[in-house]
Amino acid sequence: MERDLLRQSVSYHGENLLSLLKCEQNENPDFKHVAADLVKTLNQRNGLSNTSEDMHFKDKEDASPVLEQYIARKADLLFAPSWKSSTPADEWQEESGEAYAVMPPLEQFMEVSFEERRELFYRDVERGDMLIGRINSVRDFGLFVTLLCTAGGLERDIEDLEIKALCPIRNVPSTGNHDDPLSYYQIGDLIRAGVKDIDRYHEKLTLSLYSSSLATHLNKIKLGVISKEDLPLHYTRGEMVATDCNETYEKLLDDSLGLSNPLNVDYLLGKLGISGTQTPSLMRGLQSKRFKEEDFGTAIRKKQSVSWALKCVKTGVDHFKSGRHVDAMNEYNKALEIDTNNVEALVARGALYATKGSLMKAIGDFELALESCPTHRNAKKYLCQTLVERGGQLEEEEKLVTAEGLYKRAVVLDDTFREAAEALEKLQIRIQKSLKLKELEAAKEQEKAKTVETSAEKLRKILKEEKRFKKKKRKRSTSSSTSSDTSSTTGDDSPSTSRKKSKKRKHKRRRSSHGSKKHKRRVSSCSDKTLEDDWFPAPANTSASYIDQKQSMTKLLSEGEPDGRGRFEDVPDRSPENCRLVGPDANGEVYGTTGRARDRRDSSSSTQSEYSHQSDRYSKECSSQGRNRCVSERSRDEKMERAERKSRDQQDGRSSVGSLKKDLPSNLVDIFSQIAEFKKDKKQ
Amino acid sequence: MSTQASTSVAVNEARGRRSTEDVENPKIHFRVCRFIIETGVKLGMRSVPMATACVLYHRFFQSASLQVYEPYLVAMSAIYLAGKVEEQHLRTRDIINVCHRYFHPDSEALELDGKFWELRDSIVQCELLILRQLNFQVSFEHPHRYLLHYLLSVRSLLNRHAWSRTPIAETALAVLKDSYHGSVCVRHKPQHLALTSLYLALQTYGVQLPRGEREWWQVVCAEITKAQIETIMSELLQLYDMEAKCT
Repeated sequence: MERDLLRQSVSYHGENLLSLLKCEQNENPDFKHVAADLVKTLNQRNGLSNTSEDMHFKDKEDASPVLEQYIARKADLLFAPSWKSSTPADEWQEESGEAYAVMPPLEQFMEVSFEERRELFYRDVERGDMLIGRINSVRDFGLFVTLLCTAGGLERDIEDLEIKALCPIRNVPSTGNHDDPLSYYQIGDLIRAGVKDIDRYHEKLTLSLYSSSLATHLNKIKLGVISKEDLPLHYTRGEMVATDCNETYEKLLDDSLGLSNPLNVDYLLGKLGISGTQTPSLMRGLQSKRFKEEDFGTAIRKKQSVSWALKCVKTGVDHFKSGRHVDAMNEYNKALEIDTNNVEALVARGALYATKGSLMKAIGDFELALESCPTHRNAKKYLCQTLVERGGQLEEEEKLVTAEGLYKRAVVLDDTFREAAEALEKLQIRIQKSLKLKELEAAKEQEKAKTVETSAEKLRKILKEEKRFKKKKRKRSTSSSTSSDTSSTTGDDSPSTSRKKSKKRKHKRRRSSHGSKKHKRRVSSCSDKTLEDDWFPAPANTSASYIDQKQSMTKLLSEGEPDGRGRFEDVPDRSPENCRLVGPDANGEVYGTTGRARDRRDSSSSTQSEYSHQSDRYSKECSSQGRNRCVSERSRDEKMERAERKSRDQQDGRSSVGSLKKDLPSNLVDIFSQIAEFKKDKKQ
Repeated sequence: MSTQASTSVAVNEARGRRSTEDVENPKIHFRVCRFIIETGVKLGMRSVPMATACVLYHRFFQSASLQVYEPYLVAMSAIYLAGKVEEQHLRTRDIINVCHRYFHPDSEALELDGKFWELRDSIVQCELLILRQLNFQVSFEHPHRYLLHYLLSVRSLLNRHAWSRTPIAETALAVLKDSYHGSVCVRHKPQHLALTSLYLALQTYGVQLPRGEREWWQVVCAEITKAQIETIMSELLQLYDMEAKCT
């Protein structure tokens, strides 16, 4: 029991209360501790009442036995330490008067006397409080402020008390520049300051404009000069009341907006720290400990929902057994709507899903059921079965690892389920086998790697040859026919290039649209030329070198009869000397061969265009790097050598890809020799 | 209807005797109001809807007779209607569940069968009856918001530490809540009730407020006299005595 409270009460009411208390509470062990104290208090009080005192004790006439009786009876509740709810210390916010009605201080209405108010103020103001005042003089050691009103929780009427407080210069924050901080403040400014220090005996207040001087729940409020709008509502309303004598507390309250707010009760209860739904009561029967948890509405509803859902599940199971799956599903869903996560409904629905084949949904339902009830026998059993079945499905789909995971889980769940264990073992064996197989394959693949590469290379060469053929054909025909060629050969392209990788084909096609234009241009321009020349005048921006090369290349080609050319691809490093030899002639060779390629109708325009593209690229490279040998040049030369060889082979038979592949190494050597001759010719 | 009950009381008084009804009625009302408040707590009702439910009940029986209408049914409907009026909607299913358990403790939850729906129907019918009996005036002013504002004003008069150790707010609210057991809630103005509860709470702890030209309660309610406060206070305190007799 709260000792101080009891003492206060007893000293207020007198002996009657004490005797009643003793009578009513004599069984209360807590009271016995305090009883002695109370007797002492009373004696003190009686002693004091003979002298003049400031405390207002209850007059004898006012003694209300009923009240005292009530206090005595309910003392164990009223003075219990748990009776007082602890108020949360929220961050204080300036009230806007919208949530509830902010009223001026009662002191003002009550017309409490000057001295009393002053006394009360000095009794109650504390360090960390916030005050608002007007500057009345600025000295070099600080500011003198006449207090106007309190702020931040404390609500008192102090304006006419004319309390002066000092804000010394050390408590005034500097404004940044090196000016005197006090110069910022003028006489008559309204400032909001925190109470730094109080001397209650001498009634002196020291203020500060630093936020650190404020109590923690206030420290977000800005201190310093404020305007009239920032004055607290209780003060402004108080001013209004002071001026208008018709304004009573009642009237002001009734007129205020905050009173009409329907939520003000909840808001204020929260402000006072009392729960809205668990308000205290002094009736014995309504004490909170008398209420059982299962009597509450939500608890009963939950139980009812569960039983209702179970009924639905039962009918659903009946439907299921009779084969009416749709009805059964409806019943289960209904049950789950009534009671979400109902274990029985989930298990039943899961079984239905499993029967119908939606194994993943079934697993989901079982998992959910087991979450709420991990010991549900049926759920475990069904889940195991479903997992095994699903595992089987996955096995067939070759998702062995996932299947393994599922089997393991099934085994963990229910170790008596032999099927799961068996399936797991089988699967593990299978996995091991497949792993071994994979290893073998991997080893084989590495061996094959080279062969695979070489076959790819061969393919490329074939393609290059084809291109060369096509180009040759184009050169020989007229411009119009070449354009038709390009279009027709595009069509023919598809079967011939079927061997090629699709990417390359697409790559070429894209280029073809771009390149074919150039190609046509070139074709048209050289229409005058003889077929033997079959060389296009190079565009202005190409390097001259390859023009010559082309000429020489045609000669070479006429000698060597290379046919089509495969595509040019980047090849692994070749000996630099060969490249250099080939260098200036390479392009010419390219073009030369393409002229002949035209003979072969089934060469692709894309290859031609790729040539043109590649030549453009080549030319660009040449122009960028001058006439120096570049890597790409070299590589292209290499390709061209190969293509040369290929084309020669292709003369015999294009279909013999295999033969081409075999002949490649020899072709290379031949090409090298031919190119060497070529060079000699050129130099000559 | 409204004159029937009051004339019977008047006649009895004239005859100088109190019929059993007059003695019993307050007890019945007390019990039913206790039932309302308990149910309200179990349903998680806030203070104001609970107050509305009690006021609806009291006002209904000011003009209706207990012989004709089953008070517990009226109480259940009053709860349902109060939830609607004060925007804390309660479902009839919950009300029926809690009430059933009140009368049959530790029983199983009711089956949602025909009997349940019949009960529900009767609540809804009774709701309409209450509305008609009260001429559809079901919006009341309650003392709660006045009390809370008065509490804040009084708080500003007190030293903060004194306030924090004295459970004035709790006691005042408890007294107010308990006042709904009787018809005192419909016979006095809400401001007066609020004031009296606060007065009672301050008296309980012997809290001394500063004195000015006027007492704080004179400021808060201009026309009220000390005698009135005392009257209401005694009525409130009588209710606590009644608890012993009724339960």
